[in-house]
Amino acid sequence: MSLRLDSMNETDRPQRIVLAKIGLDGHDRGIKVVARGLRDHGFHVIYAGLWQAPEAVVQAVADEDADWLGISILSGAHMTLLPDLLNLLRQQGSGNVKVMVGGIIPEADIQKLQQLGVTGVFGPGTPMEDIVEFLRERR
Amino acid sequence: MSDWTELFERFRQKDRQALARLLSHATQSEGAEIIRTQITPRPTGSVIALTGNGGVGKSSLVGRIAERLRKDGIQVAVLACDPESPYTGGALLGDRIRMSPLASDPGLFIRSVATSGGRQAVAENLDLMCQLLLEYGFEIVLIETVGAGQADVAVRELADILVLLVQPETGDELQWEKAGLLEVADVVVVNKADLPGADTVMAQLQGQLNLPGCRPVPIFKVSATQGEGLDELWRAVQELRTEN
Amino acid sequence: MSTPLISDAKKRWQQELAAAPSRPQPATTVSGLPIEPLYTSDDLDNFSDEKRLGYPGQYPFARGVHANMHRGQLWTMRQFAGYGTARQTNERFRFLLEKGQTGLSTAFDLPTLMGLDSDHSQSRGEVGRLGVAVDTIDDVRQLFAGIDLEQVSVSMTINAPAFVIMAYYVAAAVDGGFDPRKLRGTLQNDILKEFHAQNEFIFPPTPSVKLVVDVIEYCTKHVPLWNTVSISGYHIREAGSTAVQELAFTLADGMHYVEQCLERGMNVDDFAPRLSFFFNAHNDLFEELAKYRAARRLWADLMKNRYHAQRESSWKLRFHAQTAGCSLQDKQPEVNLMRVAYQAMAAVLGGCQSLHTNSMDETLALPSEHAATLALRTQQVLAYETGVTNTVDPLGGSYFVETLTDQIQQQAEEYFERIEQHHGMVAAIETGFFRREIGDAAFAFQQAVDAKQKVLVGVNDFQQPDEKPLPLLELDESAERDQLQSLEQIKKQRSRDDVRRTTDELKRVAETGTNVMPALMETARARVTVGESMQVLEEIFGRYRLGAAW
Repeated sequence: MSLRLDSMNETDRPQRIVLAKIGLDGHDRGIKVVARGLRDHGFHVIYAGLWQAPEAVVQAVADEDADWLGISILSGAHMTLLPDLLNLLRQQGSGNVKVMVGGIIPEADIQKLQQLGVTGVFGPGTPMEDIVEFLRERR
Repeated sequence: MSDWTELFERFRQKDRQALARLLSHATQSEGAEIIRTQITPRPTGSVIALTGNGGVGKSSLVGRIAERLRKDGIQVAVLACDPESPYTGGALLGDRIRMSPLASDPGLFIRSVATSGGRQAVAENLDLMCQLLLEYGFEIVLIETVGAGQADVAVRELADILVLLVQPETGDELQWEKAGLLEVADVVVVNKADLPGADTVMAQLQGQLNLPGCRPVPIFKVSATQGEGLDELWRAVQELRTEN
Repeated sequence: MSTPLISDAKKRWQQELAAAPSRPQPATTVSGLPIEPLYTSDDLDNFSDEKRLGYPGQYPFARGVHANMHRGQLWTMRQFAGYGTARQTNERFRFLLEKGQTGLSTAFDLPTLMGLDSDHSQSRGEVGRLGVAVDTIDDVRQLFAGIDLEQVSVSMTINAPAFVIMAYYVAAAVDGGFDPRKLRGTLQNDILKEFHAQNEFIFPPTPSVKLVVDVIEYCTKHVPLWNTVSISGYHIREAGSTAVQELAFTLADGMHYVEQCLERGMNVDDFAPRLSFFFNAHNDLFEELAKYRAARRLWADLMKNRYHAQRESSWKLRFHAQTAGCSLQDKQPEVNLMRVAYQAMAAVLGGCQSLHTNSMDETLALPSEHAATLALRTQQVLAYETGVTNTVDPLGGSYFVETLTDQIQQQAEEYFERIEQHHGMVAAIETGFFRREIGDAAFAFQQAVDAKQKVLVGVNDFQQPDEKPLPLLELDESAERDQLQSLEQIKKQRSRDDVRRTTDELKRVAETGTNVMPALMETARARVTVGESMQVLEEIFGRYRLGAAW
């Protein structure tokens, strides 16, 4: 099927993405939909769950040898929590892991996050195709 | 090839990221071949596999066992396996969340593995991954497998100790029997011990397994969610390890 | 029996139907139930007016729980509010009461919802952000300062530490001179739906439910006008479930609570009249309407025939509704005003007892004053200008509505059977049954939207690339700082002996399995924090980890 061939590139390896939620926010509808959607497009999705401590997320990204990290945060506390997480990733030596963020992020903060190293920010209701294309383009 | 040399060098110096990279290479045939030439055979008694049907509570139990091992100061690696979709090649690997309280513990290494169907693929890759983890320095590798099927018979060959996990069933009680796993398990565990029917299942299993003249198979009742029965289970596994 | 005349008309209609154009989107409800082009008396062939419909205020309550419903008394306009410190929320409460709101509904911040104090390391950045921060009884007092708690009914949306907040509330009210027997309100206190959907749980299911029952038991004796649980479908729907799942899982949760109360030796007619419900009001007006009517019929049947309640008030399903948060879009947010209006209409036609209408900017931030006012006005227009309140259950008897109500009821009953096949509610939770169903439904919905089988105005069609942003509420970042300061003060000023004495007593009581409410009221008075009380209990009950299906 074309979907499978699509997800294989020269190295013939499916992309590994860790999906996690940090902070106290427990809304997991979006992240679970994205997880299933990415699976259907050939990704190996490592779902790390809710209430993850930033250190645990960073450890997971490293041990799983992930290509991407997807963080979902809907509580509005993103500017407090994400900069710390990005720092930790760099300290761990995973600074080259690409990070995408899903949630309710105001325009001004999107730019700040991109400056801090976040590759992409997606609001609620972003079509699955857009996310998949985004990830594939930046393989 | 200098990349490989550097990678192995870092690995030997206990660089955790090099280990993670090598584990990824091990899942690809080209990389696996190269790694095989560099890795020494592993010590026995170190690979414990848990298998059983979906929904039976394997990851919870693996999480509890890992917790127990960590308490004793043992360095543990976990290979959590989930099936890859034959149509899309994608996989949803969600087992590590059941071990999350320990997830930032350096003495614990959790790796999610997508296993494609078929006997060959599973055995080769997992075997190599175990070797890498053990050579790196982890004392025990816990493998949580997909559950009933061809892949699990392959795991029998790979594992030093095979633990079969069952639960008080509501319907198809003989499911695990069909897979032939009952014959090859070293330990059988009845999970969700707090549910009605647990004792019935225990009795049924005793009847099938520990007939006179047969190799004795210890059977335990545990509740992974309540954390009960784990000490006895671990003691039995320890004994089997020393026998190995 | 049809006469030849009717047959011709029907034939002709069918022919024209076959030749008529059809739109690209499949004709299903929002949840995916296929809908026929036309409903006629043929669809209600075996319909018994007496059994299926009855009169409002009488078993099986399909048409409503009171004889004259909104014609006699409007639903309570109860807008959810809360942010920052107790002082700030108190101001908002008084503003809303002044604007014509008839009941209060309290939103707590994430740390409070999760039983954490404002000074906990995990609370950083979250204090007072999505609701009011409550750490001690002082905050509760401040929250309701200047409000007559015997006159204004107060709803508190909190679950995992609900029993703590309730104890603190009652202690504050009593100390403030109010008679607990006159306190009116609702505590959400529905922990089961947390395991299914909202994820605000701390302890495992069994002790969590025990604590829910503690509140029911305590209030039945001492705060008899209080609605002890708001058995909720709202969050289940928000997590992506279908309308049928929302209905079935909610009532299944209700059944479990009833059974646990009975097991404790309580009399069903003592507590059942104070169990209340909370449903979502989503876009598909008719599906929602059918859902509410089916809910009343199902619950009445369960209470009367399964649990043998004798009092009519035990059979009545009373519910609060909130318009669907998940249907709000951040593209062209003013369009949300229309969504909310239609959803509110569904809830009112469905016979709700109280209603919260979302503000249009709620996907972007906490509601601005302007948006919050418009949300309230939505209800007022509905109540006073549309005429829907003139008669009870105006759509009752409609071929479509009655057929759909029956259909949804039947599908909900099928779910009851499936749930029963597991070894009870807690076992079903542990297999991940509910989460899997909800997750699958959420995924199917997104796939339908991505494939444009469902149109979301402004999102996957009718987009407007150059939108001007809405003026949003600026969050006062000083709230966290202020709260931390006052908490620090309290911890310095309070008596350490009192703290130790009361928490030791709480521990003792919890270990013996007795009702924790009286002991908690004492910890409240000793100015023990919510987090400290929860900590005592966590050491006994443990922390729950998500199991089979996440």
